[in-house]
Amino acid sequence: MVTLLTAEYGVENIVKSFGGARALSGVSLSVKGGEVHCIAGENGSGKSTLIKIMSGVHAPDSGLIRLGDKSFTQLSPREAVREGVQVIFQDFSLLPNLTVAENIALPTYILKNSRLLSKKQTNQLATNALDLIGVDIDINAPVADISIASKQLIAIARATNLGVKMLFMDEPTTALTRKEIKRLFEVVEQIKARGVATVFVSHKIDEIQEICNTITILRNGEVVSDGMMKDFKRQGISQAMTGLDVSETRIAPKLKKSNDKVIEVKNLTTKPTFSNVSFSIAPGEILGMTGLLGSGRTELAEAIFGQYPVDSGEVIVDGKPIHLNSSSAALKAGIGYVPPDRLTQGLFLEQSILNNLVAVGIDQYQSSGGRLAKSRLAEAGDRWIKDLRIKTKNPLNPVSSLSGGNQQRVVLAKWLAMNPHLMILNGPTVGVDIGSKREILEIIRDRAQEGMSFLVVSDDIPELIQICHRVIVIKNGQISKEFSEEQLDETVLYKELS
Amino acid sequence: MNERFSKFNTGLLADRKITQLMIFTALTFFILSYVSKDIFFTSANFISMSYQIPEIAILSIALMLSMLTGGIDLSIVSISNAAALVASWVMTTKMGDSENLSNKWIIIACVLGTVVGVLAGAVNSILIARLNVTPILATLATMTLFNGIAIGMTNGESVSGLPEQFMRVGNGTFFGIPTPFVLMIFIAIAVGFLINRTTLGLKVFLVGTNRKAAQYSVMGDRKVIAWVYLISGLLSSLAGLIIASRTSAASPDFGSSYILLAIVIVVLGGVNPNGGFGTVTGVILATAVLQMVASGFNALRYSQFFYLAAQGGVLIFVMILNVVLERRRVNRSIAKSLRS
Amino acid sequence: MDFKKLLLRNETALIIAIVILSLVIGAKSPEFFTLANLFDIFRSSFVQLLFALGVLIVIISGGIDVSFPAVGIFAGYTSVVLMQHFEWNPENLLLPIALSIVIGTILGAINSIAIASFGIPTLIATLGTSGIFRGLMLTFIGSSFISDIPIALDKFATADLLKIQPEEGTLARLHILIIPIAIITILVSLLLTRTMFGRSVYALGGGVEATRRLGISIKRTQAKIYMLVGGLSGLAGILYVSLQRKANPYDLTGSELDIIAAVVLGGASIMGGYGTVFGTVLGVLLISLIKGNLILLGVSGSWQRAAVGALLVIGITVQAINESKKAKNRRVSTSDEAAE
Repeated sequence: MVTLLTAEYGVENIVKSFGGARALSGVSLSVKGGEVHCIAGENGSGKSTLIKIMSGVHAPDSGLIRLGDKSFTQLSPREAVREGVQVIFQDFSLLPNLTVAENIALPTYILKNSRLLSKKQTNQLATNALDLIGVDIDINAPVADISIASKQLIAIARATNLGVKMLFMDEPTTALTRKEIKRLFEVVEQIKARGVATVFVSHKIDEIQEICNTITILRNGEVVSDGMMKDFKRQGISQAMTGLDVSETRIAPKLKKSNDKVIEVKNLTTKPTFSNVSFSIAPGEILGMTGLLGSGRTELAEAIFGQYPVDSGEVIVDGKPIHLNSSSAALKAGIGYVPPDRLTQGLFLEQSILNNLVAVGIDQYQSSGGRLAKSRLAEAGDRWIKDLRIKTKNPLNPVSSLSGGNQQRVVLAKWLAMNPHLMILNGPTVGVDIGSKREILEIIRDRAQEGMSFLVVSDDIPELIQICHRVIVIKNGQISKEFSEEQLDETVLYKELS
Repeated sequence: MNERFSKFNTGLLADRKITQLMIFTALTFFILSYVSKDIFFTSANFISMSYQIPEIAILSIALMLSMLTGGIDLSIVSISNAAALVASWVMTTKMGDSENLSNKWIIIACVLGTVVGVLAGAVNSILIARLNVTPILATLATMTLFNGIAIGMTNGESVSGLPEQFMRVGNGTFFGIPTPFVLMIFIAIAVGFLINRTTLGLKVFLVGTNRKAAQYSVMGDRKVIAWVYLISGLLSSLAGLIIASRTSAASPDFGSSYILLAIVIVVLGGVNPNGGFGTVTGVILATAVLQMVASGFNALRYSQFFYLAAQGGVLIFVMILNVVLERRRVNRSIAKSLRS
Repeated sequence: MDFKKLLLRNETALIIAIVILSLVIGAKSPEFFTLANLFDIFRSSFVQLLFALGVLIVIISGGIDVSFPAVGIFAGYTSVVLMQHFEWNPENLLLPIALSIVIGTILGAINSIAIASFGIPTLIATLGTSGIFRGLMLTFIGSSFISDIPIALDKFATADLLKIQPEEGTLARLHILIIPIAIITILVSLLLTRTMFGRSVYALGGGVEATRRLGISIKRTQAKIYMLVGGLSGLAGILYVSLQRKANPYDLTGSELDIIAAVVLGGASIMGGYGTVFGTVLGVLLISLIKGNLILLGVSGSWQRAAVGALLVIGITVQAINESKKAKNRRVSTSDEAAE
């Protein structure tokens, strides 16, 4: 134990380029056994590249990986596991078709290079691992049938199993309630006591401050700041991460008092995901909706848009109830939806920017006999590129050539083109740089001023406070609280959330 | 990638893949003409090729449609044979002992043949678009089913001795050009128009690029996919009728190697098997290349089995080439996105 | 819905289908319920089952293989040709079997290169190699039927474990292969459930990225899979030659459909991750039962293929409906994951 506690794990002067562009330029970081270290940084700061290098997915161009006494110029995934590096990815990386026991036990077998496995040993390994973190889950159930919170615990049990020396946790608290986070932190304390070097990747500053001893802040592939956690202040961390003096002043436009309702959601229920959800949105109003992962917020948004089944309840647009469970009915009624994952749900990556811009409502560009009116198509494309200031030389370039912020504008534009009464935005600024984020929020504001209503679904509390007139919090599929404009406050909202 | 789609505005020649294919086609032509002057480079050979190209080209175009949506239709050959059998059965039954049949009955027979194709396509559509069965599995099943029904109905025997007028379509000429070739050009233009100039066509490309995003864009992705397999069935039945008319026979076993050939052609023609990209021109050019290779092999007295091996070899080679080029492209685009 | 229960249901459904079918056929023609007929069904299932076990492994891993009949006949036929050429004619079976397995494994290795090294979609890769294998065999190794196969293989065709002469009716012969085939089946089952390799196959079918992150090499696992399948197909090929007492290079073409149908009906998911040896055994028995005994039902033999096709269409439809029900139940826990 003593040797473990003094051992150091980390990297020295890691450089990694992808085809000429630097992802990491000379990053060093060191974590002692029994220490909890935080890596903080924006999207694209190099966090995930660093994790991938440590876990053997990428080979660095130069630099050293140090694990205790040993140094490596690069690791294979197998070596990384053998040397005790474990990563809990945000998606948990569990195999849905295998049982809980197997998901937990397989890495141990791989570590020991066993070719055979016995059911008894598998179950034993799994039971031990779960006992170690004090969790009780049916080990014979296939992972596909398990809840998100349990999956998180299984992933932790698996990683903390035999031989882990350095444990990365990528945004481990996203899906958890406050109670579950407490439990997680207890587990982290336990493995800390066993001499494991733990690395927390998180942007939730409260939690970082609670659990971490040391911190490294990355920006554009470089370490901009590191040191003891206690020497950092909240504001300092976010400033170091963005390199900007972030102003998060409210930009929500003034809302005219009116009793009109663009949309009324009444008793929307799909058991067990959500039940009896009712709210309404006024013209030009920006309503925020937040909740933990798995709270039902995404399903609710998709249910209104007809992409998630609804058992009972009503959605009334302009006084008329719309046909539920149908996106085309929602579209016809004037509801638009920007899904949370731009790359897999929002964009046709390899297709041109133009084709992406017109992807909703292609039938508008139909002339006689189903023919495509190409000139009108091109005009519309040019107009939206100009309107939303999408930075591109040629609308026929693939949309994958754009930056995250510009891609998000393309998704936004394809829906704005339909001029919906209600626009549902799910995570509108995820993975977008600070500058673009600001501009996207301004686009929302401008449209709201023109009378378009918005439902913004997000777990970015500061963003909601910046832009929304009202925020509802979803918990276990129900509205747990509503906050009016005057009540919007970061600490209060965070508290309600967890 | 954008080059491949810029034909949208700038016309066919700008498409780099097509240009490459054209050079490749020309090269194949000159090499074979040089190597086999007296057999390959003869008008008889060219005429015979222009009778053989259309059927496989039409089947390949049908296959291309399903591949554009990221699926695959393995049942095209079965559908084509089933349609040909039904049409031939009607004709021979109505013919009785005479040599001729009235045009009315020939037209009815052909219409029934295409109806079979559309119905078979509809079965695929229901399985794939409605019930969400994976296209490979669905069409593998229907391929067996359609073929099985055709064998069952005919006892596995072929139907031959079709009427004179019907044979004239497959073996005749139209203003000096072989009629099947004219039909192929007509179908190619129609499908080209469909995928490049209609809203349905644009949807086909988008659904093939990202089905999920198509769902969220509310473009009726199921409907698009249903249409594709329906049209694929229709085109297959047309190919079947042309085959029947050219060979004056229909058999449930005809063209069992055509599915491999069609996949080779479609992949060589630059269609992305994962969906989203491809052109009719590419498919036609690739058909010409393959047909030239086939007659070249024939002229050089290579066995038909060697041609089979060559087909497999071309398929694997083109796929490996695509993978290598794609890897380079991805690396470059990662570099690009990191720079920005 | 607990997956184990569902699996159970799938296999119970198969057993029920087999029982009902047996009862119906048996009611119509009593000769169905004779030992001789049972043993015949076994005999016609041996080779099918070996192929099916290979296909099962591929399908669990998320791939599909259509080259196994080509690999099988290539290995079997080539072994016979080699033995004739070098005038090897030993009394025991070891040499031809070892030879065929080695050849099958080498061909499997070629599949491995296309699939594991270059990541070509498995259907396209194996379709291509199947053309190459068949083409090369028929061009360079031989295209003629060999009836005087090595003596050991010939003798083995009639090596019976049991001969039972009932008081009336035909002699029932149980071929000795039942023992090695049973052992191989159990071994494959153990391989899939009790070894790291087997679990890697399931893991691969469950998710490529998650498998990679476990520290399992995707390429190595895929390479092993296709080589193993090659070896199994080689064994099946030589046994086929032996049981037929002749080596016909044109045989087995087209048999891939029946075998894939058996595996899919046995509950393996074409999307990968699910499938059991027991289900596959039942699937093979069901298909053999239908193909061998349709005549007893008064249905003409030419409807065999249609029956298999219909069965497959029904099977995948039921599975698709179950899947969508399951997906509906599961949406609750997964839709957010997909979102983040």
